[in-house]
Amino acid sequence: MRKVLLSIGCVVSLMACTETDPEPQIIETVAPATYSFERSGASSVSFGGQTTRIEMGGEFVSALKSTSETVASLNAKFAHTAGANNFSDADLNASSKSVRSKVAASTDFYASNTTDATAIKADFDSWIEAQVTEVFPMWDMDASAGNAGQIQEAGGGSIRYVSAKGIEYNQLINKGLIGALMVDQILNNYLSPAVLDAASNVADNDAESLNDGKNYTTMEHKWDEAFGYLYGKEADITAPTLNNDSFLNKYLSRVEGDADFAGIAEEIYNAFKLGRAAIVAKDYTTRNVQAEILREKISEIVGIRAVYYLQQGKNNLPTDKGGAFHDLSEGIGFIYSLQFTRMPNSTASYFTKAEVDEFMATLQNGNGFWDLSSETLDEMSATIAAKFNFTLAQAGS
Amino acid sequence: MFRRFLLLFISIVTLHACSSSEEIVPTITDSFDRNALLVNIADNIIIPAYEDFSSKMGALNTAGETFTTTPNQANLEALRSSWFAAYKVWQHIEMFDIGKAEELQFKFYMNIYPVTVSDIEDNIASGSYDLNSVNNQDAQGFPALDYLLHGLADTDTAILEKFTNAENNDNYKNYITAVLNQMHTLTLSVVSDFKTQKGAFVTSTENTATSSLNKLINDYIFYYEKGLRANKFGIPAGTFSSTPLPDKVEGRYKNDVSKELALEALTAVQNLFEGKHYNAETTGVSFKDYLITLNRTDIATSISNQFNIASTQVQTLENSFATQINTNNTEMTRSYDELQIAVVLLKVDMLQAFNISVDYVDADGD
Repeated sequence: MRKVLLSIGCVVSLMACTETDPEPQIIETVAPATYSFERSGASSVSFGGQTTRIEMGGEFVSALKSTSETVASLNAKFAHTAGANNFSDADLNASSKSVRSKVAASTDFYASNTTDATAIKADFDSWIEAQVTEVFPMWDMDASAGNAGQIQEAGGGSIRYVSAKGIEYNQLINKGLIGALMVDQILNNYLSPAVLDAASNVADNDAESLNDGKNYTTMEHKWDEAFGYLYGKEADITAPTLNNDSFLNKYLSRVEGDADFAGIAEEIYNAFKLGRAAIVAKDYTTRNVQAEILREKISEIVGIRAVYYLQQGKNNLPTDKGGAFHDLSEGIGFIYSLQFTRMPNSTASYFTKAEVDEFMATLQNGNGFWDLSSETLDEMSATIAAKFNFTLAQAGS
Repeated sequence: MFRRFLLLFISIVTLHACSSSEEIVPTITDSFDRNALLVNIADNIIIPAYEDFSSKMGALNTAGETFTTTPNQANLEALRSSWFAAYKVWQHIEMFDIGKAEELQFKFYMNIYPVTVSDIEDNIASGSYDLNSVNNQDAQGFPALDYLLHGLADTDTAILEKFTNAENNDNYKNYITAVLNQMHTLTLSVVSDFKTQKGAFVTSTENTATSSLNKLINDYIFYYEKGLRANKFGIPAGTFSSTPLPDKVEGRYKNDVSKELALEALTAVQNLFEGKHYNAETTGVSFKDYLITLNRTDIATSISNQFNIASTQVQTLENSFATQINTNNTEMTRSYDELQIAVVLLKVDMLQAFNISVDYVDADGD
């Protein structure tokens, strides 16, 4: 009982310390049981484009470990064009969507900051190229400080393929996309009033004026697209099971699985469904409150996993370099993703691009992961945890 | 209504939550003699098991020398039986990932299976290898000997051929010697270190992340969950993969010993819980007694019962788990399920009663 009480205390203290508690307000919108919305007897929910991009992303990151790929073939998966035969799935090949076009592409952060957007896309391009030109040729060699190659996790564990600095580019790209694609699109694009309320969206939604040939208003659809980047691979969105992709959905599952954060999955799902119901009810105040909850909670997923992997990496470094480098490769990807997070009731991310670049430089200094000390990793973990409403200890285990 | 309650609760908790960055650790004091518990485990379980293992390991090393000097059928059979005798005792000590064993990653050099055959064969072919490299943890220890003594070829004649007439027969013999030397040296170091450190071990009774008691209990449960439940049952039965993986059983090349090794391990786990002295019928102060002292006889009884249920189920299996998995995997997954029930009892119920934190996380799996 004592333990249970304590954990309630921890959960509540998170909320209690939020600097910007919204004023208590009358909520008109009634929360529906699930994310299920209908009009004229048919579903009005649609997010096919998001599912497509998650699937493209999945094939793309898997291909990063296939040495038969070339820079050109990987770039083609990353920046697919309609009709090109890049994927195993014909529907993906036919699609006009691409992953790269939505990297660092949110309205709030990048519409008027193409400088950063271009630099971020260039980062991904450079990692893809380095995987092919730096790591692939050394695939069967043993890695060492300053030399790319393979390194096996202790205890007969998995073999990891790392750069000269010990980085698995495939992990950096995979975890970096969680921020640059999913988190940025959800928090800084589709949940933003600049997108939800663009053009005549409010008037159209008030009048229930539907898109041509569709069963939804533009505003409903925008919200669904935010939802789709997290739940796009769920078999049944009225009962999400999580861990259904290699991206945000998977890591929400991981964070939910940590007893310190149990309940976060329900908070996020509840905010999505109440916000969507609020749009149907034309209750934009409630909608915006839910968007801010989602900004805080979804940002937390990135922050928690960044700290978690830094700490796991630190623990493994003395005895298991292969395991440690794998943890740190996931960690550096989540750290890269921090620049796409969004503080609630703010126009800013939890960490600026400059701060993230500084973290990246520290982790890659000299021989990179080969040179890292526990002190550096602890310091960085503490700096990250301090910006969020969780402690290093909570995230670190 | 709930919202209102929550708000009230928040305002109460806020004060506490924002005023201090320190996590409050409740101190539980109980009258149980933790020192007596550690003394019993060290003197009557760990040390006699270590000594027995050390002796069996010495015999195995000697049998290896005899075989590599004179590789014939009789010496091969003697080496195999020494291998199995030592492997069975190993099941009693793998769980003690403490002191030197933890520092040297003892278990990673003794019992990582399945081995990577290509690594072993590459090492033998080149004659140049570093068994201290992490890359070779899956190319040595009992599983590597299993491969070298039972898996090199289909018949004993063909196996002996590798050590006698094959072009690089010296490399094969040298590899057996190198693997045995590594195992023997590590064993001597771990055993002597524990005896030296025993005094400090049994007095480290406090409830902290680094105390002997907390580490021992965590290692014990981790071993049960990973080394026993997952490695011996779950992984080969396909619990963590899309299809069963019978090639991942322990002792796959000898083939008919996976059940005996697993039962030995389960007995060792139950004996530690109940404080039963190594190779004797006497029992001493145990985790079970600790639970009973805390008025949690219910948990104590459930754990013993569950070990018995699991053991009964495992005894119904084929001697070869690979055969069992290929003919009727359901009985294998049933065994896993019975073992899993005890994981919850140990890791959740027992640790909560002891107020001890779990110090490991489940692997990410990616």
